[in-house]
Amino acid sequence: MTSASKDAPPAAGAEPPPGAAEPETGRAGPAGRVAPAGPGSPPGGPARARWERWWRVGVLAVVVALAVGVSIGYGLHAARRTAAGHAAAAGGGNVTISPGTIVFRDTERGPGYGQVSFVSLDDPGGPRTVTGLQCDRVDMVATAGLCLAASPGIYTSYKAFTFDSALRITHGFTVAGIPSRARLSRDGRMAAVTTFVSGHSYTSAGFSTATLLYDVAAGRELGNLEFFTITRDGERIQPVDVNFWGVTFASDNDRFYATMATGGTTYLVEGSVGGRAVHTVHSGVECPSLSPDETRVAFKKRVAGGGPVTWRATVLDLATGRETPLAETRDVDDQLAWYDNDTVAYGLPRTGADAVVDDVWTVPADGTGRPAPLVSGAWSPAFVR
Amino acid sequence: MYSTLRDVPHGLAEAGAASRPRRRRGAVGRVVLVLGLTSLLTDLSTEMVAAVLPLYLVLQAGLSPFQFGVVNGLNQAATAPVRLISGVLADRSARHREVAATGYAMSAVSRIGLLAAGGSPGLIGGAIAVDRLGKGIRTAPRDAMLSLATDQRALGTAFGVHRAMDTLGAMLGPVAAFGVLTAVAGGYDVVFVASAAIGAIGVAVLLLFTGRQPAAERRAPTVAPGGSLGARPAVDLATADAVAAPPASRGARARELAALVVDPRLRRILLAACVLALATIGDAFLYLKLQRTLDLPVRLFPLLAAGTAAAYLLAALPVGVLADRVGRRRVLLGGHGCLLAAYLTLLSPLPPTAMLVTCLALVGLYYAAADGVLAALTSAALPAGTRTTGLALVQTGVALGQFTASVAAGALWTAHGADTALAAVAGALAVALAVAAWALRQPRPGRTRAARRRRNRHGGAALPHIGGGSP
Repeated sequence: MTSASKDAPPAAGAEPPPGAAEPETGRAGPAGRVAPAGPGSPPGGPARARWERWWRVGVLAVVVALAVGVSIGYGLHAARRTAAGHAAAAGGGNVTISPGTIVFRDTERGPGYGQVSFVSLDDPGGPRTVTGLQCDRVDMVATAGLCLAASPGIYTSYKAFTFDSALRITHGFTVAGIPSRARLSRDGRMAAVTTFVSGHSYTSAGFSTATLLYDVAAGRELGNLEFFTITRDGERIQPVDVNFWGVTFASDNDRFYATMATGGTTYLVEGSVGGRAVHTVHSGVECPSLSPDETRVAFKKRVAGGGPVTWRATVLDLATGRETPLAETRDVDDQLAWYDNDTVAYGLPRTGADAVVDDVWTVPADGTGRPAPLVSGAWSPAFVR
Repeated sequence: MYSTLRDVPHGLAEAGAASRPRRRRGAVGRVVLVLGLTSLLTDLSTEMVAAVLPLYLVLQAGLSPFQFGVVNGLNQAATAPVRLISGVLADRSARHREVAATGYAMSAVSRIGLLAAGGSPGLIGGAIAVDRLGKGIRTAPRDAMLSLATDQRALGTAFGVHRAMDTLGAMLGPVAAFGVLTAVAGGYDVVFVASAAIGAIGVAVLLLFTGRQPAAERRAPTVAPGGSLGARPAVDLATADAVAAPPASRGARARELAALVVDPRLRRILLAACVLALATIGDAFLYLKLQRTLDLPVRLFPLLAAGTAAAYLLAALPVGVLADRVGRRRVLLGGHGCLLAAYLTLLSPLPPTAMLVTCLALVGLYYAAADGVLAALTSAALPAGTRTTGLALVQTGVALGQFTASVAAGALWTAHGADTALAAVAGALAVALAVAAWALRQPRPGRTRAARRRRNRHGGAALPHIGGGSP
């Protein structure tokens, strides 16, 4: 634009007559030029008006060509990147997931990115098997797995399905939004799915989550937690801004824990599937995970203070209400998984440009010890025993 | 489209005929179409990103529900001071185009920031904030440019054309975005790059085709000698800015801004707009109520917004033309009447399909009769030199009023349930309509003090009451 201006006749910048900057000679432009308001304004001259118009059209043509060129060039580059990944991923075969494995969402760069993979529990650093199953979130117990996946489109569709140990799909469910959390009950009979639901950008009231429970064995949806009876500190409430996420089931397949947020506060709620009710038991708890002995809940606790929000992996004793911060001091934003009764596992993104790659770490559940890496290039770990 | 534009009252052609022999076709000048194209491209660019952002944030950047809320929660209310500052700046410098272009450019650049932010919620939030600040900066100068380039009698039509183009861009955004994602699986970054490129074209269109404002013109006197301000012919922006340009002295500018604040016409519009906004809750509430009443699947939520946008797109121009004919005040009030009807529809025992269609159509009509028409009404009431600031004031008042209403309605919904909240809002809107009708009541020409003052200021040539209903 600047260089183009320099090419314009010098008179244009020096003493322009009112209105002369508007080259209005085209048929398309309905706006005519207003007669100069003041006396003594020299006419612009049709030649210069034509010149003015052409350099403007020329500059626009250059801008459009650049914009289209950059977009297409970048698109081709990205398409090649994706094609390379797909070609390499085609090598998956028939696999079966047997007990004694760690199942996770593969985040190692390359062909297996985003697929369900597993390693041996005895040798987590050893070779991994990529299953070819593409999931954005995954959970697995001995008999069944739960996969959440999105297929972007004009009408983006999302699916949730359970699969057996041979990776055959057993039940499909419709889900409402972008997958966020997936959890199965210990025997794989119950499933909980948290998704994001968001509306139109200019008109949306912000984000909301939908957490739905499913009876996998019966292939039946058990409803959205928002419509359960909510009791906070003994008082029934029906907030419009309520959001639930991060469900964890007890082994009786009825009792569960989850995060509930309303009015800017997050609560740990205990609920009953049969009673269709939840009540608060603690505050400041996000993404609870019930320990195998069902006495404690591992969760991420929001760290107050300036700067970006961070979370600290913490364990809550359900009987005493005592919180124990764990030895992991980095920002943990995952629903923790219990490796065994004394150890929790979680995914952590790498730093910088590698942020799309995650690693699974473990740390003792009693606040002692130090974090240790378990599986590299992995997220959403599930321990199949 | 043009057949409709030709229907603009004939008085327009008569008013400008002497000075503008070529200008016969209608009210909507090139500047309006250029601004409309810029808005179309920018909204296309914005909505491309908005459509895929939640997917990108959750699936690729791995944000948790809470982080997602934080990123998304930088609400429009925060842009209020920026809006006002940009309004004053545009008025004082008379560089509407440059101020607006800065806002458009910020939004285009923010896409690159999104690309560079990776998975960092802080940087993503920063990029989104830059986009929204850009929107806050550009709106009032853009509307002022539009009004300065348009005959006062056709302001409603001009804003209608602009808002229709704007909405068309917004509706095409998701289509374009998912077209890209279909071509390149997982290509969120390609969407960001394409969005930035489209935004850049929008900025180029604005800068290249709305005309320059040479320094000599910016210093021109407020009222052109011999120019008939009463008729206020449609002018190109370069010349319009000669009219817009305030006197050079700082004190005079300050006085002009001070005069704006106490201008009874602006005060009355501001009062009406704010009172109506205080009874206007976010669409999300209406959609939520619709979804619950009709037991719609949650995944259809975005389609509700798309339905409203379609109604808005179709109605924007006809309603704008109507506003120029029967009066902007009546149309503005009628639009809020549509909103009231939408509230009542939600409380009525209508069958599901009828309720859905009626409600979305009414909300779309409300948008068509509220947004552009309010801008037209405000523009027509304000002198060119302080118009941007006035527009920014009204827009900010509306944004804050609606925000307050949504918070209050949310609290009421929580405490007493959806029906009570909706009934209360409907009652408030009925009262607000009465107050607004009183505030915008039409003074008889020549009777009020304000009219006398105006007449004196303009050397005896009283401003006619333009557009039938505007005060």
